[in-house]
Amino acid sequence: MVFLQVIPYYLDLGKNLNDQMGNVANYFQRWMLIVIALATLVGVIAVVQVHAKNVQKRSKDWLFSIIVLVILALMLVAGLPLKEVTLGPTNSVYLYLFNNAYTPLSGTMYSIIAFFITSAAFRAFRARNIEASLVLIAGLLMVLSNAPLFTVMWPPFKTIGDWIMAVPNTATMRAITMGIALGTIALAVRTLMGIERGYLRGGGD
Amino acid sequence: MAIPFVVSGNFIGLLMLVVIMGATVYFTKRAQGGKVQPIRRVPGIDAMDEAIGRSVEMGRPVVASHGIASLRDATTGPQTIAGLSVLSYVAKKTSEVGAELIVPVRSPEVWPIAADIVETAYKVSGKAEDYKVENIRFLSNDQFAYSSNYIGLLMREKPGANIMIGAYWAESLQLAETGSRVGCMQISGTAQTSQLPFFLVATDYCLIGEEIYSAGAYLTNDAQMIGSLAGTDVGRIIAVALSLLGALIVTLGSQVMIQFFGW
Repeated sequence: MVFLQVIPYYLDLGKNLNDQMGNVANYFQRWMLIVIALATLVGVIAVVQVHAKNVQKRSKDWLFSIIVLVILALMLVAGLPLKEVTLGPTNSVYLYLFNNAYTPLSGTMYSIIAFFITSAAFRAFRARNIEASLVLIAGLLMVLSNAPLFTVMWPPFKTIGDWIMAVPNTATMRAITMGIALGTIALAVRTLMGIERGYLRGGGD
Repeated sequence: MAIPFVVSGNFIGLLMLVVIMGATVYFTKRAQGGKVQPIRRVPGIDAMDEAIGRSVEMGRPVVASHGIASLRDATTGPQTIAGLSVLSYVAKKTSEVGAELIVPVRSPEVWPIAADIVETAYKVSGKAEDYKVENIRFLSNDQFAYSSNYIGLLMREKPGANIMIGAYWAESLQLAETGSRVGCMQISGTAQTSQLPFFLVATDYCLIGEEIYSAGAYLTNDAQMIGSLAGTDVGRIIAVALSLLGALIVTLGSQVMIQFFGW
């Protein structure tokens, strides 16, 4: 599978052979999609297992487990792909829950990151040592560079901010990215050689 | 310049891949013969035992997650593998010292693997009866549903340690900040460059980029796996040399390097 995917990327062995290898790789990828679709069922079973046990044992906050199980069942039934009985993604109950519960909750979770950033910044921006002081100074300069009020007062703030992003930030990120690529290759080699077994039954021995 | 049988523009990439893979195989085989390279200490990995020990002393569980990526993606899948390798070590340690281990899972196809790793670790330690399948928690396939569930879990269980190694996205700061709020010792690691700053400021120890890939080798102390790390050093030396050479040549006004990488 690995070579079927990698060879056409690097080697030009003629259109026919490259296409055939691509087709075989796609065929195996379809297998993978079927396995993943089945795995979703495993996820549902795992959720039911945990929350049903919570309800059964009357564990702490077991009432929330009932809500999870009820909503799970409701969405599962309403979303069944049976157009003949008006079920599926266009079902009114499904759409109501999706638009009025799922979407706003998801949006809320995303937007609260702003508050987490504030509390993290409060803790990080303390000049405890040289490194933390550098972070504090760079962070302050970036804030000043991105706030129109300060760039209007003193335009070089924008130039300084751009320089921080283009030079030290880009250089560091490129070094980290190169390291990640090298680490990924080493992990791939270890996995292909069967040395990396940590993810296989806790070591495979 | 066109190279026969090689897709135009990909020759140098192929050459580098072959050289680095060859070096990794060479050093791995060399380690098999007993010649193991010394490796530098990584504080974040060394702190794993401390974090687990702290949880036992406090009578609190250990939470260990392996990111929210599946195993499918070429860039984030390896991070999940690295996270699962760390989970394998954490499960072994928690089973030995009797700490409760909770594993939040996002991807349904990773759930059976995580459950199997933890179960095997408990069996190997002779504590199969302590393994609880309900502690391998599939939270949700949705990113923010997973995040809110994980936050709730941290707030309710108040773990002594929160270990997060793998691919994380926008939820990284939410999880790290909540962990910090409940007072648990946190070890994080990711190769997602956009999330590294969040982990760096909000957790006690952070594995940066490639360190997560070497964590498995580091923790198992396996000679072959440690040997493979030397192969990446060959790639690193080539990368630094080419970067310096490229900067010099481009500064002098030549386009040779750009043409070289375009082969």
